[in-house]
Amino acid sequence: MKDGESAEVDLNRVWIDVAAEIWRRHPGRVERVTGRLLRSPGLARALVTTPSLVVGWVIATVVVLAAGLVATLTTGTAFVPLLAPAVAAAGIAYAYGPGIDPAWELVESMAVSDRMVLLVRALAVFGLNAVLGLAASAASGTAAVVTFGWLVPMVAVCALALAAATLSSSANVGVATGLAVWMGVVLGGRATTGSLVAAVTTSSLVVPYVLVAVVCCAIAWYATRMPRRTS
Amino acid sequence: MNVELTDLTRRFGRTRAVDGVSLQAGPGVFGLLGPNGAGKTSLLRMMATVLRPNSGRMRLLGRDPGDYAPRREIRRRLGYLPQNLGYYPGFTVAEFVEYFALLKDMPPGQVPRAVAAAIESVGLGDNARAKLRTLSGGMLRRAGIAQAIVNSPELLLLDEPTAGLDPEQRVAFRALLRDLSQRATVVVSTHLVEDVGAVCTAVALMNSGKIVFNGTPAELTARGEGSDAVGDAPLERGYGAVLAAARSLTQVRS
Repeated sequence: MKDGESAEVDLNRVWIDVAAEIWRRHPGRVERVTGRLLRSPGLARALVTTPSLVVGWVIATVVVLAAGLVATLTTGTAFVPLLAPAVAAAGIAYAYGPGIDPAWELVESMAVSDRMVLLVRALAVFGLNAVLGLAASAASGTAAVVTFGWLVPMVAVCALALAAATLSSSANVGVATGLAVWMGVVLGGRATTGSLVAAVTTSSLVVPYVLVAVVCCAIAWYATRMPRRTS
Repeated sequence: MNVELTDLTRRFGRTRAVDGVSLQAGPGVFGLLGPNGAGKTSLLRMMATVLRPNSGRMRLLGRDPGDYAPRREIRRRLGYLPQNLGYYPGFTVAEFVEYFALLKDMPPGQVPRAVAAAIESVGLGDNARAKLRTLSGGMLRRAGIAQAIVNSPELLLLDEPTAGLDPEQRVAFRALLRDLSQRATVVVSTHLVEDVGAVCTAVALMNSGKIVFNGTPAELTARGEGSDAVGDAPLERGYGAVLAAARSLTQVRS
């Protein structure tokens, strides 16, 4: 350094650079891959923080489905197809919303749309539950119509729970609605046909399930609609 | 003007929380004063684009938040501290601030430095890696302020930002506000008159959803001169006088 040349260093700036390196969080592989796929690191971060995708919740889901598997194997009655939609509906209702996210109001004001966060989280929860449910159902050795028959009812029950949760701004209301209606359908099917799995094996119910799913998705979409123009 | 509100109204059932509010605010610190239930928080929530007005016109940063693309652009440039900010107890301070930086769509490469700068500016450097569940109320509030300023917002909305801060932290916070207001519009909702007197360049007083005063802190102080309004400081007496006049007018009308 030449004589007289300023040797001043902005220590504050240097410290911020150092602190940025020290405090930097290194995202896990899932978050990195998801961020690339979704082209949004914010959305990826929102996804990996989904309450119903945390390890504890996933373990609870596996335990419930495993219990259903054991019950199916010991009693001969297919419980997994009855449990899987209920568990998935609870997961969907708890994926995102004012009753779940402690900083919901703040999240609503973010550039990454809360609708997108909801969509991505709901799809991820649904996908995981579908895979776990299919694995448990296949392991229980039930007929194909039972093994796959619950997927359509699961879509309807999940959509119903989501619609109720978003309309009421309460995940608990969403879970309660989904479980109550699903229980009613299962018990109604049993009362009508004498079979506990009638709700997932009766082909005539497919169209009503699809209709319910479409209507409920539309309700959830409306409930999370954008603010209207202000001018 | 970064904030332009015209005849903005928001109803909750039969209650008009915000009743025909018209306001304009440019760079500087704009204080929103009023008693509890005056409508300050509802007004701030509308400006934060999380609450829809029932009627009226709103332009923020020169854009209409009613349309998707402009609203997203506004949100990128917005900092918001809600009155009741929830926290993720398992997050560290740095993770909390980073989460919102990412949700504000900040370029990922800029995030670590912006997070560090925001945390340092609220004096939480020593607690950056502490879990939020271990922090005091004042520290949590400062973490909330850090997330609000992490994107160097052009419009900063703060609802009761000094709640839970000790006197020393409040002084430091006011200095931070002065610094931020050099390049942004800062709207501070508070019922603490001294905060307004110390830092605000303009102030509006709300009562029953309406703006009953809009001017400078000096003009508000002048309203208290010669009146019998109670208050320890001149500004408090001005606040009391305007509020008393507004309430008596409401009583006469009803």
